Amino acid sequence: MNNLMLDLLQFPFMQRALLAGLFLALLLALLGIFVILRKMSFWGDGLAHASLAGIALALLLAINPLFLAIVIAVIFALLVYYLERKTTLSSDAIIGVLFTSLMALGIILLSFKAGYQPDLISYLFGNILAIKNSDLYLMAVCTAVILYFLLKYRKQLTLITFDKESAYLAGINVNLFDLIFYIFLAVAVVLGVKILGIVLVSALLIIPASIAKLVAKSFRLINILSVIFAEIIVSLGLVISYYFNLPSGAVIILTGTLIFLVMVLAKHLKLMPE
Amino acid sequence: MKVVEVKNLTVAYDNNVVLHDISFDIEAENICAVIGPNGSGKTTLLKAILGLAPIEEGKIKIFGKTIKEALSQISYVPQRFTFDKTFPITVEEFMALSLRPRNKKNLIDEKLNELEMLEVKNQLLGSLSGGQLQRVLIARSLLNDPLILFWDEPISGIDIGGERTFYQLARHLNQDHKITIILVSHELDVVYKFANQVVCLNKKLICQGVPEKVLTSEKIAELYGPISLYKHQHRHE
Repeated sequence: MNNLMLDLLQFPFMQRALLAGLFLALLLALLGIFVILRKMSFWGDGLAHASLAGIALALLLAINPLFLAIVIAVIFALLVYYLERKTTLSSDAIIGVLFTSLMALGIILLSFKAGYQPDLISYLFGNILAIKNSDLYLMAVCTAVILYFLLKYRKQLTLITFDKESAYLAGINVNLFDLIFYIFLAVAVVLGVKILGIVLVSALLIIPASIAKLVAKSFRLINILSVIFAEIIVSLGLVISYYFNLPSGAVIILTGTLIFLVMVLAKHLKLMPE
Repeated sequence: MKVVEVKNLTVAYDNNVVLHDISFDIEAENICAVIGPNGSGKTTLLKAILGLAPIEEGKIKIFGKTIKEALSQISYVPQRFTFDKTFPITVEEFMALSLRPRNKKNLIDEKLNELEMLEVKNQLLGSLSGGQLQRVLIARSLLNDPLILFWDEPISGIDIGGERTFYQLARHLNQDHKITIILVSHELDVVYKFANQVVCLNKKLICQGVPEKVLTSEKIAELYGPISLYKHQHRHE
């Protein structure tokens, strides 16, 4: 195994992919806990699909797609936040309307660019070869900022997730924290688009936290387990995809699904301590 | 000294008036019971004071300040605490979320012990029975040395032994720690036994003041409708 890892790490693209994957796993694992406990699982899909409009525009203008995708995803998050408070519609209805609209806009924008679009395919399904050093720096900075926020305000975020009324009575500005959380979630999901693709990125937000929730007997434990599972899923998925020459995003997700199924089965058969 | 001032309060949900033109004050160190029939607006009144219900008209002050400014000095136990029972959080972790930074963590043990709930400290909150949860919520409400406690039907789901413990605790907090207690109750017995102020509601203010003086047969009939009433024999314990 050690030799396999060394063999794999001799390639700079693989070093970048692994590093980016580890950053991403940490970030999405921690955000994912709040996402599944707040029943916001549709958010990940919505954000990723909406970012297509940014990617399409960037491809047309020949600028960095990741940056423009983040901008569009943040606008999407702000619109959902605003409409949740100004209408009687549920979040999933609002997300459904907005992400399909932004995706439709992206498709129209892409129709202006003639010919085969390899960049587009890599954004749709993920491509570890596409990770540049500049992407890695952007990921490192975003991970550091979001991680700082999550750790410093862990108590406030948990109380808001658990019970908004209690959070308000504890003097927490619930609306402000919700707004920041939505924006950071948007940034984190788009960061994952390069590795996992628009279609699959939300799985890394949901699967590790869901596996952790199956077994965790405390909030501390769900945090630790979610990160451990996410890191295992990404590293194992990348290694398998490299050696079997399979699409990395899809292999990462299926690795997660397999672990999830094993844990569900183990719990069902009472193989885990209660 | 007035700790809560409610002036001409009207609360409405979607143009449906739930409370109309309510005014009263609560003095420091009182035990004030808010009573009234089902749907009379008791919970809404508490929520409006706490800033959790939409105020159509009127003013509320706590310690002469706005609700938001006074939040650090009050605590609240809701009638029904609804939460995701599958949320993986232990009782201790749940309590710690409401613990202000200046307070030490062993305060959690102390308050749980006061409510005889120390043994559930490491259990998942979602695994507690209704009565156990209520006791944990009461323990949580005592964490940050509040000056006013808002308790909405605090003993619902608690067994008789627990009820006694609860009222002993309420009396102890009020008499020894000088905490003002405002509690919603549907039991007149509670009012006579523990409260020195009563606020009677039925969408509007029916009466308010010292229970023995204001809770006349007429007022009770006005509050609950024409029911046969037995004269209550008041006995201080």
